[in-house]
Amino acid sequence: MNDKKMSLEKKLKSQFGDLISNIVNQYGEITCEVTPENWQQICQQLRDDDQFSFEQLIDLCGIDYLTFGEAEWDTDGVSSTGFSRGISNKGPGRFSWEERETELIDKRFAVVVHLLSIKHNMRIRLKCFAPDTGVLAVPSLIKIWSVADWFEREAFDLFGIIFVGHPDLRRILTDYGFIGHPFRKDFPLIGNVEVRYDEEKGRVVYEPVSIEPRVTIPKTIRKDARYAENQEQLEGDS
Amino acid sequence: MGVIKNQDLINTSTDFSNLELGIVDGITHPYVDQGFDNKGFFTARLDDVIGWARTGSMWPMTFGLACCAVEMMQAGGARYDLDRFGIIFRPSPRQADVMIVAGTLVNKMAPALRKVYDQMADPKYVVSMGSCANGGGYYHYSYAVVRGCDRVVPVDVYVPGCPPTAEALIYGLLQLQKKIKRTNTIAR
Repeated sequence: MNDKKMSLEKKLKSQFGDLISNIVNQYGEITCEVTPENWQQICQQLRDDDQFSFEQLIDLCGIDYLTFGEAEWDTDGVSSTGFSRGISNKGPGRFSWEERETELIDKRFAVVVHLLSIKHNMRIRLKCFAPDTGVLAVPSLIKIWSVADWFEREAFDLFGIIFVGHPDLRRILTDYGFIGHPFRKDFPLIGNVEVRYDEEKGRVVYEPVSIEPRVTIPKTIRKDARYAENQEQLEGDS
Repeated sequence: MGVIKNQDLINTSTDFSNLELGIVDGITHPYVDQGFDNKGFFTARLDDVIGWARTGSMWPMTFGLACCAVEMMQAGGARYDLDRFGIIFRPSPRQADVMIVAGTLVNKMAPALRKVYDQMADPKYVVSMGSCANGGGYYHYSYAVVRGCDRVVPVDVYVPGCPPTAEALIYGLLQLQKKIKRTNTIAR
């Protein structure tokens, strides 16, 4: 099985060379990065080339890397009395619409696709970072796999990534007239409007949100003794 | 086992000491002999008859929104069998008396829920099923969820649980039956 993964990795390298970067073969899965300029061309080849034949697009989604790897609880090297449960910072979800900040970090938004080759029984994960400056534009894959239609609408709705070449890039999940992209880490969990039925107007009305934001489960990245195995593995990989 | 005559049991309307099992009595249904017993007549207040008719066929509008809907289906299925209470699910608000809001009500669905409620014919009742419909529940602090369906429609019975069991829903519907029976339509 692993031989197949290795050979896929080799094939990718020999076929695409520098066009595909950061090929990672971990947990029995292959992940690699593609630039937006080569996105369509490489996907087309991965589908049509006989040695790849990735006929199926399993999933397409967006990622926001803001606050990636930042935890609210420090579980590293805690004393015998345990660690503090007080949270003072305004992490994801803990701020209101007015308090939100938009941070600019490099390689913040990415589009991820999972591909399946039924012919060769192989899977691959491709990542494409949207440009850091200007419009968050990534080419659409709708001409290669038509299933990308709704997936791209979803990623547009939740992250605000623009898919160039998509024929009908509308919101798909959020409310009609919704403002913002809710899966962005700088979007307040509480949102900015709430609804109520107004007896006098005889319809459902929107009002500014009336309650304070609250996150009940702190964001935690486990690194303590129970996960020592993972820690060693991570150190060994790097 | 001898034959129990009504006359033996009901002598006065105040002395219940010799009441035996099998006679249903309650605040809303005092057993008072109107002089028509065993004469082929049945008498009742018109309000009681209306209440009896309404509670005997509460047809709920199915508004299944999330996992609560699965429990609602179970309540309607073979084991719990809401049919025996005359409760038959209707797909149209025009034919329904009760709306069971089963699941998370999101902002996008709120106008649709209100429209369906408005389309129902009077008298109409609403059962809010589960934590999400009662007050937002797990999604109380979400950007997309209505914090309780009572922000959109008036609710008669709240059934707690996440999701409530089919028994809990049936209990809620029985509570609603009691509420309807206690409502006076003629004598206010």
